[in-house]
Amino acid sequence: MSEPLLLAFAVLGLLLGATVLTALLSLSAGLKRFAHLPLVVACGASAVLAMILVGRVQAGGSAPRFVSDPLTWFAAGKLTVNLTLAVDPLAAVMLATVTFVATWIAIFSSGYMRDDHGGPDRGYVRYFAVMSLFVFSMCGLVLANNFLLLVGFWEGVGVCSYLLVGYYYDKPAAAAAARKAFLVTRLGDTGFLLGIFLLWRLGGWHTDLTALFDHIQKHPPDTASLTAACLLVFCGAVGKSAQFPLYVWLPDAMEGPTPVSALIHAATMVTAGVYLVARCAPVFALVPDAQAVVAWAGGITALLAAVIALTQTDLKRVLAYSTVSQLGYMFLALGTLGAISPVFAVTAALFHLFTHAFFKALLFLASGSVMHAMGGVIDMRRFGGLRRVMPVTHLTFLCGAAALAGIPLLSGFWSKDAILEALKLGGESAHPYAGAFHVLLLVGLFTAGLTAFYTFRAYFLTFWGPTRIPEEAGHHAHESPAVMTGPLLVLAVGALAAGAVAGPLTHWFETFVGRTPSLQQAAAVVGMKAPSHAFDWGLAGVSTLLAVGGVGLAAVMYARGRPAKVPAGLEPVVALSRNKLYVDEVYEAALVKPMAGLAVAARVFDLFLDALSRLLASVPRFLGGLVRPVQNGLVQFYALSMALGAAVLVSFVAFRITR
Amino acid sequence: MNPLSDPAVQQTLTGVFRLALPEIVLLGTACLAFLVGPFANRRWLWFAAALAGVAGAMVVAGVMKAEPPAVPTVAPLIPDAAAAFVRWLALISAAVFLFVSWPEAGRGHAAEYYGCLLVAAAGVSLTGRANDLITLFLALELLSIPTYILLYLPAQDRPNQEAAVKYFLLSVLSSALLLFGFSYLYGLTGTTNITAIVDTLTRANAAELSPMALLAAVLVVAAAGFRVTAVPFHFYAPDVYEGGPAGVVAQIAFLPKVAGLVALARVLGLLAADPRHQPFPVDTHLPLLLWVVAVLTMSVGNVLALLQDNLRRMLAYSGVAHGGYLLIGLVVATSLPDNPGRPAVGGMDAVFVYLAAYGAMTVGAFAVVLYLSTPDRPIDGIDDLAGLGESHPVTAGCMTVFLLSLIGIPLTAGFVGKLLLFVGAFTAPADTLSMGHLYQVLAVIAAVNSAVGAYYYLRVIGVMYLRSPVRPPADSRSLPTKLAVLALAGFTLVFGIYPDPLVKAGRRAAPVAATQTADG
Repeated sequence: MSEPLLLAFAVLGLLLGATVLTALLSLSAGLKRFAHLPLVVACGASAVLAMILVGRVQAGGSAPRFVSDPLTWFAAGKLTVNLTLAVDPLAAVMLATVTFVATWIAIFSSGYMRDDHGGPDRGYVRYFAVMSLFVFSMCGLVLANNFLLLVGFWEGVGVCSYLLVGYYYDKPAAAAAARKAFLVTRLGDTGFLLGIFLLWRLGGWHTDLTALFDHIQKHPPDTASLTAACLLVFCGAVGKSAQFPLYVWLPDAMEGPTPVSALIHAATMVTAGVYLVARCAPVFALVPDAQAVVAWAGGITALLAAVIALTQTDLKRVLAYSTVSQLGYMFLALGTLGAISPVFAVTAALFHLFTHAFFKALLFLASGSVMHAMGGVIDMRRFGGLRRVMPVTHLTFLCGAAALAGIPLLSGFWSKDAILEALKLGGESAHPYAGAFHVLLLVGLFTAGLTAFYTFRAYFLTFWGPTRIPEEAGHHAHESPAVMTGPLLVLAVGALAAGAVAGPLTHWFETFVGRTPSLQQAAAVVGMKAPSHAFDWGLAGVSTLLAVGGVGLAAVMYARGRPAKVPAGLEPVVALSRNKLYVDEVYEAALVKPMAGLAVAARVFDLFLDALSRLLASVPRFLGGLVRPVQNGLVQFYALSMALGAAVLVSFVAFRITR
Repeated sequence: MNPLSDPAVQQTLTGVFRLALPEIVLLGTACLAFLVGPFANRRWLWFAAALAGVAGAMVVAGVMKAEPPAVPTVAPLIPDAAAAFVRWLALISAAVFLFVSWPEAGRGHAAEYYGCLLVAAAGVSLTGRANDLITLFLALELLSIPTYILLYLPAQDRPNQEAAVKYFLLSVLSSALLLFGFSYLYGLTGTTNITAIVDTLTRANAAELSPMALLAAVLVVAAAGFRVTAVPFHFYAPDVYEGGPAGVVAQIAFLPKVAGLVALARVLGLLAADPRHQPFPVDTHLPLLLWVVAVLTMSVGNVLALLQDNLRRMLAYSGVAHGGYLLIGLVVATSLPDNPGRPAVGGMDAVFVYLAAYGAMTVGAFAVVLYLSTPDRPIDGIDDLAGLGESHPVTAGCMTVFLLSLIGIPLTAGFVGKLLLFVGAFTAPADTLSMGHLYQVLAVIAAVNSAVGAYYYLRVIGVMYLRSPVRPPADSRSLPTKLAVLALAGFTLVFGIYPDPLVKAGRRAAPVAATQTADG
């Protein structure tokens, strides 16, 4: 086995070991307070290994892909499911990002998951065990080279998300949010599974990703069924990555502990959908219709979520909608993968994923730090002016907010710019949907302005104006301990510099990820080379103007730390935004109510079936009652029965052959 | 030249001891235990000695290269792949039983107990490789006779004695039936070698069916039916399982089933070098008889298990039902002569996989009963397990695994075995004159039976987890039994989640050639 694969297995082994070890710690009361150690150590070691892995893959020749020997999990007829892992630049970068961010979030968690007296929280062990399982599943998802194995890990992260959103399970809102998150993503997963089965049929009965893509490339099936397969797979991505129309679960998922929101609902799990589409680029490259759907879904989501985020008063919800919106950006970029070079489109999306992981995790952790100090209050109307109370949190939040807003030279600026450039190039291409990309470019630009505005609205409301502290915080509202501010500082450096270092300064990210064999394969399908890196000054100028304008408007309206008065004409718009565009209500009326009616009808039918099945179920018992007396406990009777039985068998055969 | 001085024949006959070395090691250890036991009857000593014996047998079995006999038609033992599978099954189960029966083997009879256990395991292992009616009969008796003693040894109260006597009498009756059948086979073919008998009968029956041969086969089915607990030879099972010591009952529930099925398959030629040439193909109606017995067995077992409140009786009937499922594999195997091409499941491979899975789950369930039972707090009724989930979470978890596996829930070994059996029945040819769609019907009947069976297994799980412990079982201190329970649960789960090695082993043990060489 080659070294990169060994490293990949080592990462998975470490994380699985951490899960088991943490679970075992629950057996001993004295060791419970050390429950964070396995996760922190395993994540840290995995991050180091993943970075070594990146180096090894980089040195791995022109087509760096390492596939492990197939180990058959099960085979039934034509379906063979292999346990295979694949390491390529795409997976390596993703793995490094996940483990790196997870390490700091794990350290932060060990400070955050405390009760009122500073001792470990009641579910401390449970929290870290599930977190470990989550990081393990996420890494497995990234490395899996088989669709069904991928689904296994895909569901694994889903289950962990369910368990962690519902961490405070005695709180009804948290329990409901966990259920909602799980069920809504399951809706997408249904499509995902159907898509996998369709791809399996189209792809020569392969379930290994590499074999399947090779087969589809060699024997292209008809476009209609391939489009259907791509769209079904995209359903899974829509559910997991919280895209329109299935994004409704993500804002509610903020009921979970804030580090969970940072890790699962900002940096890693929700990006699984983006990663999935990027992995399937060779197939998506073949079908322009599916690309257009991906782009439109991304565009609509980006705009919609940004509009909703404008008026939210819950700090974490602002960030949640912002995550939804930023994920929309990533899908926007992925949607152009057939119009421009797939290498450029996917690299742009993944680059945004990479920078977003830093600054969004940072923003969530900073808001967690605020929440920690405010005694669990997260409503921005109830606190303000915290920049003096929490200087480190304030500064790091500012870094994250600036990066998210797209202030020039920070991480978010570069990656957002790459996406806008992809859209612009897509509009200029000969793609059947080129016109749509023009519109989507405008959507992207407008959303960029909105993003800057709502991000800094939240920033000013939280940290500026007179100091106000809710009574829940008591008298001890203070900066968080070093175990929490440390990760904030590290991630702040990432939010400021990661984009510039990996992007324009070195072009490392795009050259490295661009060498991914599956992306090259997609590029061969589309037949386009990556565009030369002419930095588009015009586009950058416009987006800078929008970002600065958004920040300026927010400063004018909210710098005093008070919600501003809304101009009279805009009130309906604000109401629309505040009520989240009434999407939940529309779903309630259009889907939930009719379903509830159907459920009542089904219940009545069920009662009838119950009665019927009870009747059926009594038959075996009745038969048993008939046979039972034969079992009378007398050995002579048993012997007689055996002899008679043998006689019956003999006469049965005699009767059959003489007939 | 005198044909008896043919060097190949000589070599075959003298090489037979080489083929039985592991069993000789087991029997040697047992003899040592019987001889020295009366003077030093310490439990740990004989436990260690028996374990060493099993380990030694395993080493010998692993190291020894099995040379196929030069003249199979005179060879008393045949070291084919099926024989190897059965041997490993016997050796591993012997090791497991050593651990399981720790609490029963005390009070001055440990040496005898462990000795009998090793002899029984050797009997099973020899049944797997017997290629002669005499060897086969001896091997089966090598399994039965120690079992009589074992039933009587640990607890000599009245239900126990009743169980021992019942088992003894009925087992002897079944042996008589077996010998009766064997005598016809010998009389018809003039040989006791099974390979020769199968060859002769296949050729003879292809020309014209011999009713006497069929009669002999039916008698063998009846005798094997006793060991497989097939209806109507199952009557002893509930009474013996209820009265016998739990550790011994675990053996009775497993080892005779292995021996009975393998013996029957050998005599019917289902494990011969070419399983497509069988002395009793479908037009002899013997497969139809097996079909009827399979359906009766699983149905009667399941409906009677529904009515039981006694855990051991429930497990006994459940064992009857599983005997029915196992017979499906035999029925499927008889369809091979009519199945051109390469079937997905040959029948006997599914039987081997199911035997391994069945052994783990049934022995595991009885081991739990044994582990929780104490003299003043025996586990008899299902209600005795109430609240086990609270009082003994680990044991209850293992018991749940066994029960789910007995139902055949996916991700357990029981599911894998059942799936193979059902797939085999479902894909068997549906165009033969005398069977028609009956294979498919058998699969459907078995599926319905599985659904019925789910009720009584789930009821136990419900009692364990949903009821509160009124009088929780005491904490047993039998660590070896607990280890065995954990190992069996691990086996059930591991091969349920990753069944490929087990399925491959089953397939190797009963290979089906890719194409039909000559039309049989």
